[in-house]
Amino acid sequence: MERHSVRGLLRLSIAAVIGLFFIAPFIYMVLAAFAESFPLTGRIDLTSYSFTLRNFAELFTASQLYIPIINSSIIAIIVTASNLLLCTICGYALARRDFKLRGPIMMSVVLVLMIPAHVVIIPMYVLTKWFGIYDTYLALILPFAVTPLGIFLMRQYISGIPTDMEEAARLEGASELTIIMRVILPLCKPALAVLAVQVFLINWNSFLYPFILTSAESMRTLPVALALLQGYQSINIPQLFAASLISALPTAILFMIFSRRITEGIIAGALKG
Amino acid sequence: MQSASSRQFRRADLFFLSPWILTLLLFWVFPIIASLLLSFTDFRLLSSSYNVVGLRNYFELFKDGVFLRSLLNTTIFTVGTLPFTTIFAILLAVFLNQRLPLRRLFQSVYFFPSVVSMVVIALVFTTLYARGGYIQLLADLVGVTPPANGWLFSELTALPAIMAMDVWMATGYYMLLFLAALQSIPAELYEAAEIEGANWWQKLRVITLPHLKPMLLFVVILNTIKSFQVFVEVFVMTKGGPLNSTMTMVYFVYEEGLHKFNVGYGAAAANILFLIIAVISFLELRLIRERSA
Repeated sequence: MERHSVRGLLRLSIAAVIGLFFIAPFIYMVLAAFAESFPLTGRIDLTSYSFTLRNFAELFTASQLYIPIINSSIIAIIVTASNLLLCTICGYALARRDFKLRGPIMMSVVLVLMIPAHVVIIPMYVLTKWFGIYDTYLALILPFAVTPLGIFLMRQYISGIPTDMEEAARLEGASELTIIMRVILPLCKPALAVLAVQVFLINWNSFLYPFILTSAESMRTLPVALALLQGYQSINIPQLFAASLISALPTAILFMIFSRRITEGIIAGALKG
Repeated sequence: MQSASSRQFRRADLFFLSPWILTLLLFWVFPIIASLLLSFTDFRLLSSSYNVVGLRNYFELFKDGVFLRSLLNTTIFTVGTLPFTTIFAILLAVFLNQRLPLRRLFQSVYFFPSVVSMVVIALVFTTLYARGGYIQLLADLVGVTPPANGWLFSELTALPAIMAMDVWMATGYYMLLFLAALQSIPAELYEAAEIEGANWWQKLRVITLPHLKPMLLFVVILNTIKSFQVFVEVFVMTKGGPLNSTMTMVYFVYEEGLHKFNVGYGAAAANILFLIIAVISFLELRLIRERSA
C-alpha cells in the first residue's frame, strides 16, 4: 500500500512536469500580455512584475483590432452554421438514399478529404479573382460552406441511427426535407456538437486561405492580422501577445467546455480513412 | 406511379447533394484543372498576355536551386520531426493509459497546443527563440552555446528550431490517436500476462506495441502528409530565411506564385507537391488495404 501511493505520487509529479512543459509557453504569453514593461530579451522579471490592461486598450485604439475580431467571428460562425445544415443534408442523402451516383459522390468526399488545400492556393487565388469574390467574405465562406469532413462525419453518424422514426414520419406524409429538419437533425445532436466545435476552431484559427484570398486591411481575419502586425514599428511584443491571447481565448474556452467532444472529433476525423 | 416517384426521389437526392457537388466542381475540380493548365504557361498576373510553354516550368524547377532547397528542407523537416513526434506521442499515450489521478486534465493539457492557432504559437516561439530569450537560458543551463543572433537567424539552427516547435505542438495530437488505439486493447490480455508473471517491458513489447502497429502506420503517413504542408510557421518566424534555410515547398509555391506573381511557375511547383502527397496517400491506402486483407 505504502509503495503504491509513493509510486502514484511519482507518476502524478511526472505528469505535472510534462504538463508544465506543454503549458509554459502559454503562461509566458499571458504574463507578457498583462505586463507593464517587457525587456528586450523577452525574459520577464517576476520580482518587479506589474499588471496592466494597457496593452489590450492600445490594441483597440491604435491597431483597431476589433475589425479582425469581427471578421473572424462572422466567418467562423457562418461557416459553422452552414456546415451543420448542409453536411447533415448531404450526409443524410449519402447514408439513406439509394441512387446511381451515390458511390462516385461518396468517393469524391473521401478523396477531397485527403487533398490538402495547400496544393490549390494559386488557382484559388486566380479563380476568386475571376469569380469577383476576391477580398470579400464570400471567398472565405463559400469554399468551406460544406466540407468533406462534415459530410463524412454526418454520414457515418446517420448510418447508425435506426430508421423507424423516419419511416413513421414518411407514412404520415412528411417530405424528405421535413424528415431531415424535424427527425434527423434533432437525433444528430451529439455528432453536430462534435462537428460544430471542430469547424469553428478550424475556421477561427485558419490562416492560409484568409491570407491568400484577401488583401484589404478591413478584410483581415484575426490570425492574418496577428501575423501581419508582427514586425510593425507601432506594435510591441506585449501588445502582440495581448492580441494572441484574444485569438487563443475562444479556443481555450471551447476546449475547456468541449474537451471531450474535440477529442472525439479529432479521433473520428483522423480515423475516417 | 412507382417509376414517377422514384425519379422524383432521384432528383431530390441530387438536390440534397448539390451543395457538395457545387463545392467539389467549383473549389476542387476546377482549381486542380486550372493548376495543371496554368503550369504549362508563363502566365503572370501582372501582364495580361501569356504563352504556352509546355513542360518548361517543370524543367526549370529542377534547375532552380531554391526549389531544390525547398524539397530538401521539406524532406529534412519530415524525417527530422516524425520519429520524435511519434515516439513522444507513444510514450505519453502509454503513460496516460495507466492509473493516474486527474488523467483527463493531463490529457487535455498535453493536447492543448494542437488546438491553438499556429500563428499564435509561432509568435510566442519567435520571442522564446530570440537572442537572450528563455530558450537561450535553457541552452545556457545545459552548456550549449546558442548562435549569436538568436536561433531563428542562423542558417544552421533556424530549421531545427521550427522543427522542435512543431514536435512540441503536434505530439499531443498524435498522443490522442495512440491513446484511442491503446484503449481498444482488451484488458484481459494484460491480466493474462500478469498471471504469467510478465513485467512491464514484456507487456509493452508483446501486447502493447503489436496492437499499436496499425495506428503507428496511419500516424506516420498522416504526419508525413502534414509535414509537406508546412507554411504558417515559416511565414511568421523566418519568411524562408536566412538564406533559404527554412524555405519549404508550400512557402516556395506562395512566394513564386502569389508574391512574385509567377503564377505558371508557382502552379508547376504546387503540382509537384500535389504529386508527392498523392503518392504518399496512395501508399497509405495500399498499406491499409494489405493490413486489412
